[in-house]
Amino acid sequence: MNAPAPASPATNSVSVVLQDIVQEYPAPAGGVTRVIDRVSLSFDQPGINMLLGPSGCGKSTLLHMLGGVRPMGSATPSSGRVLIDGVECHGAHDDSVMVFQRYANRPDLSVFENVAFPFRLQLWRKRVPEGEWRKRVADMLAAVGLSDKAALRPAQLSGGQNQRVALARALVLRPRILLMDEPFGALDAQTREEMQLLLIELYRTWPCLVVFVTHDVTEALTLGDRVIVLSTQPARVADDFAISEARPRSAAWQRSPQAQAFAERVLSQLHQASPGKGQVRVTV
Amino acid sequence: MPRDEFWNPYAAPEAPRRRLLGLAAVLGLLVLWSAVAASGLVSPSKLPAPWDVVAAFGYLAWHDGQSMLLTATLWSVGRLLVAGVLVIMIGIPIGIVMGAAPQVNAALSPLVDPFRSAPVVALLPILVMWMGIGEAMKIAFLFIGAVVYLIPMVRDAIQAVPQSYWIGARDLGATPWECIQRAVIPLAMPRIADAVIVAFSVMWTYITVAEYVNAREGLGQLIQNARRFSAWDQVFAGIIVIIALALATYQFMVWLKRRLYPWETQQ
Repeated sequence: MNAPAPASPATNSVSVVLQDIVQEYPAPAGGVTRVIDRVSLSFDQPGINMLLGPSGCGKSTLLHMLGGVRPMGSATPSSGRVLIDGVECHGAHDDSVMVFQRYANRPDLSVFENVAFPFRLQLWRKRVPEGEWRKRVADMLAAVGLSDKAALRPAQLSGGQNQRVALARALVLRPRILLMDEPFGALDAQTREEMQLLLIELYRTWPCLVVFVTHDVTEALTLGDRVIVLSTQPARVADDFAISEARPRSAAWQRSPQAQAFAERVLSQLHQASPGKGQVRVTV
Repeated sequence: MPRDEFWNPYAAPEAPRRRLLGLAAVLGLLVLWSAVAASGLVSPSKLPAPWDVVAAFGYLAWHDGQSMLLTATLWSVGRLLVAGVLVIMIGIPIGIVMGAAPQVNAALSPLVDPFRSAPVVALLPILVMWMGIGEAMKIAFLFIGAVVYLIPMVRDAIQAVPQSYWIGARDLGATPWECIQRAVIPLAMPRIADAVIVAFSVMWTYITVAEYVNAREGLGQLIQNARRFSAWDQVFAGIIVIIALALATYQFMVWLKRRLYPWETQQ
């Protein structure tokens, strides 16, 4: 991998604060349904942060508030504030890029053009001179192992390769905040593992604040510096803990008493917070 | 042929077999037509024989050192091209704006959509009243006839692009207009091309009407003139030439679309 030296943490530092976030939607029977209930979280340094919770618990909605595109047609959040570097954030943020579960690669563009796509936009044309972005795109394609596929179109790639393109397009912007919305959820087990290792490698080269949504306990324990467990209906922070084990974490560690203890802790917290509701996945 | 390949919409025959079946049908029709003509059951003034039509075609193609057919075809194709360029340059931007901005669509669709089922042919006398009987009227008629189909199709093409591409571009920092320009329009292009193909087909069907009033040249005039002298063999020849040209236009545009947007079929 011919990647530049890791950026210094100083240029990457970022502060993201969620204050008392509440999300409500009108209920069919009248009144409102509270989906997210007074969630407060803060992130103040590069790291991989896992938002773990059952499917449909609202973790994705929460993720989109961290500088992603907010849904149209309803106020998001209903109350509470999102601060990025101390400034209230109301929608898509320039320093925040999202990788979606269903890859949003453009069928009409080649792999190279897909990764270079942001540099066709005024914002990034102004920020990054052409010579530099061309080099960045080439480096990034090498980093995700797609240099020899640069001229192909997404339809000619596998699901995992498409997700590599999406990851490359996000990281080529050197974002300070990388939002990942169950990015590997649609992949088969073996490809998912490969992608997790790739993410670890890319993160080491280009560290930033990663917020990663998953309903897979094993994925959370494999990747996270920090795991935030969300209950469901409504989503509240049920648990929030750090994992200091170095990455990549071996299969032996996954089976270690420490890892098992983390998994049991997550499951019991979820059970207490929202008994009988929602599903999480454990793959070991 | 195995039995379960007949009543089976998913088992299309191979290309050579498809061509053979198509050719057989056309030849069958010609044989039937020849048989009816040769039997004398139908008067030649009502149904000219195929060989008379071929003779008429030869006469129109070359007679007295000039080709009436070529001149007429060039005039008709010229009118169609001018109207087509106008349809593309005016209709596509209107359709795109309507598709991309729902408020513009709300304002304009009551003006545009009803015309899809309006009797465009009935507009001809009005156009004659407004624009006279010259070229402008003929071009305007072709333009209106085609653009009322094209605009809604372009609008629908824009609206059919999945929202995820708009959101994805927006997330990367695109302005709303950049999302339309850089993501939505490029992805709508194959369907916009379909709209252009339909527009040209529609214009070919209207060409005879456009050339009905005071045309001195053109395929419509050629047919009109032959009809006046009850030269039915020439009328048939003219109609067949228009069908052939419309088909050739269609085939060419479909080929062009596949070359321009090869990714569409790979999805």
